[in-house]
Amino acid sequence: MDVMGNIVYPVAGLLGLYGFVSLASLLWEGIDRKLVARMQRRVGPPLIQPFYDFLKLMSKETIVPNTANYMFRAAPVLALATAIALLAYTPMGFTPIMASKGDVIVFIYLLALISFFKIVGAISSGSPYAKIGAAREATVMVSREPAMMLAIFAIMWRLGKLGVDRPFSMGIFYQHNIWEIGTPMSFVGAIILLYVFCVWLASEIEVGFFNIPDAEEEIAEGLLVEYSGRYLALLKLTKALKAYIAASLVVAIFFPWGIADYFNLTGLSAEVVNLLFHTLKVFILLFVVESVFRAVTGRLKITQAVDFLWKNVFLASLVGSLLIAMEVIM
Amino acid sequence: MNGEAILPYLIIIPLFGAFSMPIVNLLGRKAREAWAVMISGATLAVGSAIFYYVWDTKKILVYTLGAKSPLGQGVGFPIRIVWEVDLFGAIMVLMVTLVSFLAVLYSLGYMKHDTGLDKYYTLIIILELGMLGIAITGDLFNFYVFLEIMSIASYALVAFRNDTWEGIEAGIKYMFVGSIASSFVLLGIALLYGQYGTLTMSYLALKLAQSPSVTAKVALALFIAGLLFKSGASPVHMWLADAHPAAPSSISAMLSGLVIKIGGIYALTRILFSIYGASISVKTVGWVVIIFACITLIVGNAMAVIQNDMKRLLAYSSVGQIGYILLGLGIGLAAYGSQTGEIAMAGAIYHTFNHALMKALLFLIAGVVIHQLGTRDLNELSGLAKAMPKTTFAFLIGAAAIIGMPPLNGFASKWLIYESSAIFNPILGAIAIIGTAFCTAAYVKVLYTFFGRPSERVMKAKDPEGTMLWPIIILVVAIIVMGLFPWQISDKVMIPAVKALENQLAYVSAVLGGA
Repeated sequence: MDVMGNIVYPVAGLLGLYGFVSLASLLWEGIDRKLVARMQRRVGPPLIQPFYDFLKLMSKETIVPNTANYMFRAAPVLALATAIALLAYTPMGFTPIMASKGDVIVFIYLLALISFFKIVGAISSGSPYAKIGAAREATVMVSREPAMMLAIFAIMWRLGKLGVDRPFSMGIFYQHNIWEIGTPMSFVGAIILLYVFCVWLASEIEVGFFNIPDAEEEIAEGLLVEYSGRYLALLKLTKALKAYIAASLVVAIFFPWGIADYFNLTGLSAEVVNLLFHTLKVFILLFVVESVFRAVTGRLKITQAVDFLWKNVFLASLVGSLLIAMEVIM
Repeated sequence: MNGEAILPYLIIIPLFGAFSMPIVNLLGRKAREAWAVMISGATLAVGSAIFYYVWDTKKILVYTLGAKSPLGQGVGFPIRIVWEVDLFGAIMVLMVTLVSFLAVLYSLGYMKHDTGLDKYYTLIIILELGMLGIAITGDLFNFYVFLEIMSIASYALVAFRNDTWEGIEAGIKYMFVGSIASSFVLLGIALLYGQYGTLTMSYLALKLAQSPSVTAKVALALFIAGLLFKSGASPVHMWLADAHPAAPSSISAMLSGLVIKIGGIYALTRILFSIYGASISVKTVGWVVIIFACITLIVGNAMAVIQNDMKRLLAYSSVGQIGYILLGLGIGLAAYGSQTGEIAMAGAIYHTFNHALMKALLFLIAGVVIHQLGTRDLNELSGLAKAMPKTTFAFLIGAAAIIGMPPLNGFASKWLIYESSAIFNPILGAIAIIGTAFCTAAYVKVLYTFFGRPSERVMKAKDPEGTMLWPIIILVVAIIVMGLFPWQISDKVMIPAVKALENQLAYVSAVLGGA
């Protein structure tokens, strides 16, 4: 077996990505806070405020409630571990490290698993506030994922028809993209699906309308109410990573173009340049979906959010998927 | 190692153990327990050896009782009882011996406070004996006898705690329903014997292919009806939802993990593939099974969601999982000979084995909870994770495995069934997914309870003693390790088992030899 090729390089790549994405996603959080502050005519914190926050939380005393069980302590670690594992399957300007046939299911599964661990951790604290937050998180999660799954499977199926070596793999977006199909119907469908993915992204990172499970004003920080110190730091980092990963998915589907080719770069340098360019695109997308959305709207009620996700977003996903699939079916 | 030489010990050891138990019992409690563990341990050793032998040599083991050759002198047909073990049978043997051993080990701690334990251990070993007999036999009437041994032992064990009203109630219900089901099977056998004059499965397969008749079809209908009863398929699953909660938990683990599969799924598969394979329209029969599978899937899993009784929830979940296995079996028949059918059947066999491990684990855990707290009501079990961390962790693993989460063994087997059903007919794939959605809801509900705020009552509990904990740990390790090598297991064990099962000619000629 090729030890270097199969084990050492992927592990090194994953560690490198983990380091880079941690820095980039925390930096984005700083930029986001600064931008929102400016929109509200405030000065805002310095750009690297999230790093200070992280270090401060890490150094704080960690309090564990006496009603908490072992999952309270395990869940933040598991959530972060899942997020790191997810990096190996995330398209970030180049084909993911562990890309294989059908890995889109692994991607969706791991992304949902992060939320699941957060929920389990929250329930395990024994606090009723956390339990309400967890119930809300579960409700929103169940409502938001079908729209995304339908859309992503439709897109992947459609792109698979164009001829790819690994169908239903996250690497597919760098071989063909959705705009390439070119017919007016698919173009309209793609625009609708872009809308679906933007709303999905907003609900995945819980901003704007969907800042429900954490709703600090109503249920005292909800999901995270009992977490402090190290565990809170881990959860915050996980949240930042997840925002980057979810945004990466949307970028990879709709804006997969790299710039390395224009500079005639190959090998590692091409991947680094593409990664940086991809990060720029992620920041731009997050600016629209996170910063602006967060600044201009408040949250919905939980029932309204569920209604919105099913009656509006899921329907849009259905229509968009049908339009994308239409010329193949007919 | 010679497989033929050790095969009889699969029956001899438990038979000897069961019949000597009343005498060993005179030596006291310790001797009785040690004897039960030794007997089931030795059976496990023989069972693993046979599995390894069959898997390694890829032969079909044939053993004739009373002579060297199954064929009579001067006649070209078998006149003796034969045992015939192909890879599918060997997998079942391994499954039965493994889970039975763990259930016996678990009983040491779990049944400590009950009386009449000499009878209990006799019955549990007889139950194992009956199941092993079904898995290895190649004779139709022999199959019926072992089916009845298994059934009667399980009636007695369901009603073992005869000072509780529910034990008696469930026992009576199970006995009435089960006896009728058994009599269907017996009637089917009688019809076949009257028509064809033989009871050897392989020779009967030959005769059936040569001269199909209406009688054979009637007999098949009776077999399917009787065996669906035994496997707890909807709409005849009602005995199961009562019997599993009422039985002692070690028995529930065997009933849910083994009895419904050996007495139902295995027997059905064997009869459909090895006896009727060449003489019926597999497509029609396949669709009959698929229809029952779909009903079972939805009803079982949906009913599991609304239960408040922990063991009842697990029992309904067993019904739901039987639905998956039947779906795989049905597609395996309806798409007979194609790759889809092969994958579906491999998924069904794989899921049978996996579900035996997972459901045994979950029922053993339920037993621990009942043992510690004296209640099965989920509403009273809030926050169990605080007081019983190891037990709830094992439950987390078991629940994740049964839902089919990727790093665990349930994923691969369910995946094979999803994939093949989606290829075969997308509607069936959708039904399977809906079933899983219900199943997920049911188990998440339990986890939600277990990890919540600890209630007063729960705080008094603690993790169980070693004899109850070790079987749980072994099952958890088995589930995780099997989950790490899903495709290797599928390619090296399950697919060859399906190929052996579909190769009816080999099954027939193994007994009839050159004749």
